[in-house]
Amino acid sequence: MRSICRLALFLLISTSVLGQDKFTMNGTVRDASNGEALIGVTVFIKEIRNGAVTNAYGFYAITLPPGTYSVDYSYVGFRLESRVITLEANMQVSIELVPESEQLQEVVVKAEIEQANVSNMEMSTNKLEMKTVLRTPMLFGESDLLRSLLLLPGVSTVGEGASGFNVRGGNVGQNLILLDEAPVYNSSHLFGFFSVFNPDAVKDTKLYKGAIPARFGGRLASILDVRMKEGNNKRVEVAGGIGSIFSRLAVEGPIIKDKASFIVAARRSYIDVLARPFVPLLKEGGALNFYDLTLKTNYKINRRNSLYLSGYFGRDVFRFDKTQGFNWGNATATLRWNHLFNERLFLNATGVYSNYDYALQFGKDDRNRFTWNSSISNFILRPQFTYFINSNNELNFGADVTYYSFRPANAAGITNGKTVDLSLDRKFNLETALHVGNTQRITDAVSVEYGVRFSTFQYFGPGTAYIYGDTIPGVRKPVVGGREYRSGEVIAAYQNLEPRLSFRLQTSGRSAIKGSYNRMAQYLHLISNTTASNPLDVWAPSSNNVQPQLADQFTLGYFRDLTEDKQFEFSLEGYLRYTKNQIDYIDGADLLINEFLEGDFLSGIGRAYGLEAYFQKKSGRLNGWVSYTLGKSELQVDGINAGRWYETRFNQTHNLKIAAFYDISKRWSASANFIYTSGTPTTFPTSRYTQQGILIPHNAEASRNNVYLNDYHRLDISFRLEGKKVRKGKERKNSDYWVFSLYNVYARKNPFSIYFSQNDQRLPSGQPLQSDATQLSIIGTIVPAVSYNFRF
Amino acid sequence: MKDKNQFLNIFLSAGLVFSLGACEDIINPTLQPASPMLVVDAWLTNRPEPQVISITRSQPYFEKALPPGVPGAQVRVVDNQGTLFIFLEDVANAGKYVWTPPPGQGFGVIGGSYRLTLVVNGETFEASSYMGRVPPIDSITFETDNRLGTSEKITRAEFWATDPTGIGDAYWIRTSKNGIALLKPTELNIAFDAGLSIGGQTDGVTFITPVRRRINANDKDANDKALSPIVSGDSIQVQIHSITVQAFTFLTEVGIQTNRPGGFQELFATPLANVSTNVVNTTAGGSKVLGFFNVSAVSSAGKRFSE
Repeated sequence: MRSICRLALFLLISTSVLGQDKFTMNGTVRDASNGEALIGVTVFIKEIRNGAVTNAYGFYAITLPPGTYSVDYSYVGFRLESRVITLEANMQVSIELVPESEQLQEVVVKAEIEQANVSNMEMSTNKLEMKTVLRTPMLFGESDLLRSLLLLPGVSTVGEGASGFNVRGGNVGQNLILLDEAPVYNSSHLFGFFSVFNPDAVKDTKLYKGAIPARFGGRLASILDVRMKEGNNKRVEVAGGIGSIFSRLAVEGPIIKDKASFIVAARRSYIDVLARPFVPLLKEGGALNFYDLTLKTNYKINRRNSLYLSGYFGRDVFRFDKTQGFNWGNATATLRWNHLFNERLFLNATGVYSNYDYALQFGKDDRNRFTWNSSISNFILRPQFTYFINSNNELNFGADVTYYSFRPANAAGITNGKTVDLSLDRKFNLETALHVGNTQRITDAVSVEYGVRFSTFQYFGPGTAYIYGDTIPGVRKPVVGGREYRSGEVIAAYQNLEPRLSFRLQTSGRSAIKGSYNRMAQYLHLISNTTASNPLDVWAPSSNNVQPQLADQFTLGYFRDLTEDKQFEFSLEGYLRYTKNQIDYIDGADLLINEFLEGDFLSGIGRAYGLEAYFQKKSGRLNGWVSYTLGKSELQVDGINAGRWYETRFNQTHNLKIAAFYDISKRWSASANFIYTSGTPTTFPTSRYTQQGILIPHNAEASRNNVYLNDYHRLDISFRLEGKKVRKGKERKNSDYWVFSLYNVYARKNPFSIYFSQNDQRLPSGQPLQSDATQLSIIGTIVPAVSYNFRF
Repeated sequence: MKDKNQFLNIFLSAGLVFSLGACEDIINPTLQPASPMLVVDAWLTNRPEPQVISITRSQPYFEKALPPGVPGAQVRVVDNQGTLFIFLEDVANAGKYVWTPPPGQGFGVIGGSYRLTLVVNGETFEASSYMGRVPPIDSITFETDNRLGTSEKITRAEFWATDPTGIGDAYWIRTSKNGIALLKPTELNIAFDAGLSIGGQTDGVTFITPVRRRINANDKDANDKALSPIVSGDSIQVQIHSITVQAFTFLTEVGIQTNRPGGFQELFATPLANVSTNVVNTTAGGSKVLGFFNVSAVSSAGKRFSE
């Protein structure tokens, strides 16, 4: 630990000494239309055929010998900006890029896009433009970030309506979802049909599936980094929409022009409002809705300091009368300080609060009632430094400190007037990490990124830790002892060294080979044994009984620009991930309000491997991509499937996705996506038997996931009509558009599951019981939708 | 006190409001073949009536016939006092083995423990159980409400009983309406102490609401609309059977595997898995066996509803 710090310090000192005869140009790149910082802009210096990319705050820095340089600033969807810069001293060059007007999209972007897969260090990473999200046809016509994410290679879902997403065969709890650096524990509204991210407030989304930089950690499968808009600092703008499920409104604008701005965005579903006259439940005080509020403000104090404050608050509410029902939601707050120590040392310091909680109440009278609430809250401090050593080295280092407080159950039951306290102990944890990573360009063709993350986790008192005895695998473990721990006393502690390595080898001007290895440790576990995760699922920390999950992932990829203008891009990536300490559950596990929850856990190992092919046409009148993943995801757990390897419930052998966007005319455009996936595995019985007149299914091999559902395929299309730009000879100040969408165009009944049950008929005694198999399609029909969106 | 399925049911009824066009089709998939396994169905009670143990074989899942009985077995139970109960083969009903108590008496005593021994085709199988205590039923009440938002009347029954103090009592509440046992998967009603699960810590109080009310028939009309569980003239009979902790776990698993109402609840279904058994083949590596042996003390009450 100490040696890592020393190494970092040494690197800092030595490189600044070496850098004496060079100067640094740095600055921020912004969108000229609204002042938003642009993430991932390529800053290319022609003379050295190298450059930099702006970071998550739009900042870049390049250190060069004195001289005159021509610099190109390029970013997809923006006009290329070229500057000639004479570097005689450290200097600041901040740039504003002008967006290509959407109406001009048929004019092919002529500028050479340097931000290509081939010259970039990144692999196993997908960026999702909000423009793309807004144009993707969606269920009920409601644009949704997580649903759009499912169109990317290596990303899948167990089925419609399931919350979360699966990355490269990982479960939904193995993704770290960050909203402005705050972890989001439940990313869904209303089952999994919508995500918590309001498209009006999101600026940029990046999914890391592999080659994960050392600054990220805490989950095995992926990091989803969602960044909110900062708010237009040039003028006040109002945007909104009226859709079939919810309405949205966002207001953004300057507080002090070019210095401080804000954005406030809100959504609320209104199915309950519309349905109230028809649904008795809603008339009697019932409710079914969700809402969320996203806000952010920023203040550029001076050239060296900026402050950002952002927050999210969302809730789903379901009540089936005035007093009974439940609700759940996330709340996050992020305070960020960007500071420039000198021309080359950049600090982003973040303080985060994040909370997920749910509450239930049942019982019609005061003598018979059940109340339960549960929460996970955490506080994070995260200083992160970027040191732009020279044009060949960029050093990132910093720390993460997270304090968790779990409240698994604060519950009470009243039965016939008597109260029973059902609450479980709170749990307290501290996760810390130190990380350092360097991106180094060795030659024009070879670059490497290497780093390490050292993470530790402590579970401490007050609380009771139980000890469980051994038993036959698959059966509930008996409690054989327990110990009370005092406040602050350590119950369990873990530490892991997580190396991260990746390389890029450019094999020609238009192709590159990239590879990576990374180890990830995960100390929090999503406790869920159902097909899809549900809002009542709890997160549990590693403890004396539950080991942290570990993953080792290897990737190797080939990246190619198919044409000189880099319009067509192709990549092929293979991945292989081994995981340890994977949690599964005994049959009949009791996961809610169970003091002895850990006795119902099983532990095993996992492996996931696959190949992802991706072809993209980046711009032009017709653009889009084709993504294909061939994959497998398996677990081996003592006590399940007779100890043999079994495929996970979300395993998909083939996963093909096509997304296409086409500009028909100045006002009309069309989008389509097509999805084909192999059926996911499920378990069928072989036999049946009866006990006391109840029919019980049985599988003679004790198999898990031994058969496959039918293939899933679906086509969605949407048309977008832009409002007239000119009305009565005058240019309109506001803009608007309509979206007409069709989900599941050919109304395929895609199977979500097949279940086996006793026929519901009540038979006279002595008659043989009837058994049925039923196939369920969550959305077995075509779903048309219209939405109206405006901006002024 | 907690019942995940109940919470989810309510949560998922939200899905009905939110009519998405979900659809269900009965299908006929081909299942892997499997050889029949021995099945023991041995749930004995202290009620003054003949006690029956069934020995059958498992069937292919879609078989539309009664399970085949296994004749020619030796079936005995021995209690901790050394008393032997010999179950005699019912020649008219293959696979049924019956012990008939002397008039006015029942099988076993509270606190007794019992060992079942079966000899089938030369193989010996064993299982053990004990008879736990059972509280009396204080009363059965009826409550009539309007169906939400309408003037239609819905009547539900509720029983009242109090779990004795001391953790570890388990019960199966078995109800019949107008003489027909309520055996649908949604009607399975088990309790651990006064609550719903072993981790539930609800001891020594009146059975909690979901237990007290899960004595109602769950029937629908041709339009899939729920019928009032009780109408004028209906009578119900409620029995509390004490069961072992192991039997509680068994029935919990049975509930998970059989209660598959479908629809949006499928989002939150757990994988199909085999239910446990407490019957073992005394020869390791011998043929496999399914089913359960339990001995119950029973308390009961009945009531007729008339407006």
